[in-house]
Amino acid sequence: MGTAENKRSVLVGIFVLLAITILLVGIFTLGGQQKRFSSSITLTAVFDDVGGLKPGNNVWFSGVKIGTVKNISLFGSSQVLVTLNVEESVQEYIRENAVARISSESFIGNKNIVIEGGTQEASPVEDGARIMAENPLDTDALIEKLQENNNNLVAITGNLKQLTGNLVKGQGTIGRLLTDSTMADDLGAMVANLQRTSQNSVAASRSLNQFTSKLNTPGGLANQVLTDTTVYSQLRQSMAQLQEATNSAAALTENLRETSTRLNNENNALGVLLQDEEFARNLQNTMQNLETSSQKFDENMEALQSNILFRGFFRRRDKEEAKQQEQQQEQQNQ
Amino acid sequence: MNQSNNNNLNEPQKRKYVLSRRLDRAFLELYNIYAFVARFFKEVFLPPYEFKEIIKQCYEVGVRSLPLVSVTAFIIGIVFTNQSRPSLADFGATALLPALISVAIIRAIGPLVTAIITSGRVGSSIGAEIGSMRVTEQIDAMEVSATNPFKFLVVSRVLATTFMIPALTMYTTLLALLGGYLNVHQNEQTTLITFFSQVFEAITFLDIVASSVKSVLFGFTIGMVGCYKGYNSSKGTEGVGKAANTSVVTAMFLIFVEELLVMQVINAVRGI
Repeated sequence: MGTAENKRSVLVGIFVLLAITILLVGIFTLGGQQKRFSSSITLTAVFDDVGGLKPGNNVWFSGVKIGTVKNISLFGSSQVLVTLNVEESVQEYIRENAVARISSESFIGNKNIVIEGGTQEASPVEDGARIMAENPLDTDALIEKLQENNNNLVAITGNLKQLTGNLVKGQGTIGRLLTDSTMADDLGAMVANLQRTSQNSVAASRSLNQFTSKLNTPGGLANQVLTDTTVYSQLRQSMAQLQEATNSAAALTENLRETSTRLNNENNALGVLLQDEEFARNLQNTMQNLETSSQKFDENMEALQSNILFRGFFRRRDKEEAKQQEQQQEQQNQ
Repeated sequence: MNQSNNNNLNEPQKRKYVLSRRLDRAFLELYNIYAFVARFFKEVFLPPYEFKEIIKQCYEVGVRSLPLVSVTAFIIGIVFTNQSRPSLADFGATALLPALISVAIIRAIGPLVTAIITSGRVGSSIGAEIGSMRVTEQIDAMEVSATNPFKFLVVSRVLATTFMIPALTMYTTLLALLGGYLNVHQNEQTTLITFFSQVFEAITFLDIVASSVKSVLFGFTIGMVGCYKGYNSSKGTEGVGKAANTSVVTAMFLIFVEELLVMQVINAVRGI
């Protein structure tokens, strides 16, 4: 019985001890996290608006928790004096020109105070010092701005709705484009044409490219025209001469025209020759008479050769001619 | 003759009721409770101190309840964490889960779950035990044998529950948090140190004090209700069952009422 009672007592003792240990560990962990048991200094800052900051909220410095908000009280006309409990060990890092700013741990989370800035030139803060305060970003103002954006968004979506409605109904150019099959076919044809045109353009540009490359070939005419100043001056000279020649040709043509005009008239010899039919007939008769006369003259001449008086003359002339022919043949043979 | 006698008997009885039979009974019950509690506070400081009985009751209430309470707390930690996740996940704030669990378990669930389980297990057994002693007239026998039955039976048990329930609450809270950690670690891969760092980030000393005060109050209520119901149980085996039953029901009801009151007081202190 006694042993059983002892065992019970020991178990109860262990049970209670463990429970107390859990409680103490909890208390010390909490105390450690809230920096209750570390030696601390007090800093103050005056804000226009603390935006719901409460005693017990955290104080951060360079992303490290260094203390908590100890007290919040109204100050001056409508300002707020915030007293901060900050670990003594970080005192040397916080400079007199550091700025306290109210921030949020998350968008919907607790507020906290962030101490930032401060330069090495400034001396470390003293216990009880007042540091500068930067007023927080006003969430209401932020939300107001967001609301404005929302309204804009509503207007934009309204317009978009109207636009898409028109598109669906096939109104407007784009709507017709989307719904009208004829237009789509036209567009297809147009694109095909465009494609063809572009192919042609490609070919043309290629040819042009070849042509220009030929033009650019050194020594070529075009190249010389474009680059050699002598050729240019010669070309210019030639052009001038050509112009002169053209002028002469024009004068010649004018003369010719005048001549032909005159020929068409009957007041000159050639004109009569060309235009007068009667004269042509006369001329033909004359020519016929002339032919008859010459036949008769030929007969007379033959009769003359047979004449005794003139026979010697003709024989002599034949002999001379035969002699001349022989000489020519000899010369050719030599 | 009989009728006249009955009338004669009834008339003075009727006159005894100040308001009505039911109201008088209710107020009488209230007075009895007050007297019982007052007697407890009188007896608790007066020697002799029944240490052995107190230790025995502590063992019964604390050590013997530990396995049941531990398993329940661990399961509640897991379940509560898992069920809370979707609400926070809607805001993309599952990182705040440890803080939520911490506040819920330390402020409310820890003490409440411990008290409810213990009232079921211990409250009923106290009611039944003392009730059966009343029924079998063992309490009367104790009085005859010069043993103070109130001190021996009531004070020891109430002290045991008052001390052991807060201790059990510590275990419950720790195990429920560990259950929560298990779930958080599985889903968010949070480390133990980060988890407990966030847990303590979310609470204050006031929460721990409030939790402790509540569990002391709950322990006292469980012991006191059990003892009162057993001590004042009606005669017969039915009375024992009734004592056990009503002690659990009343204790649970009072626990929730106290929870509400303490919450109001703590929030007033916190300045919410």
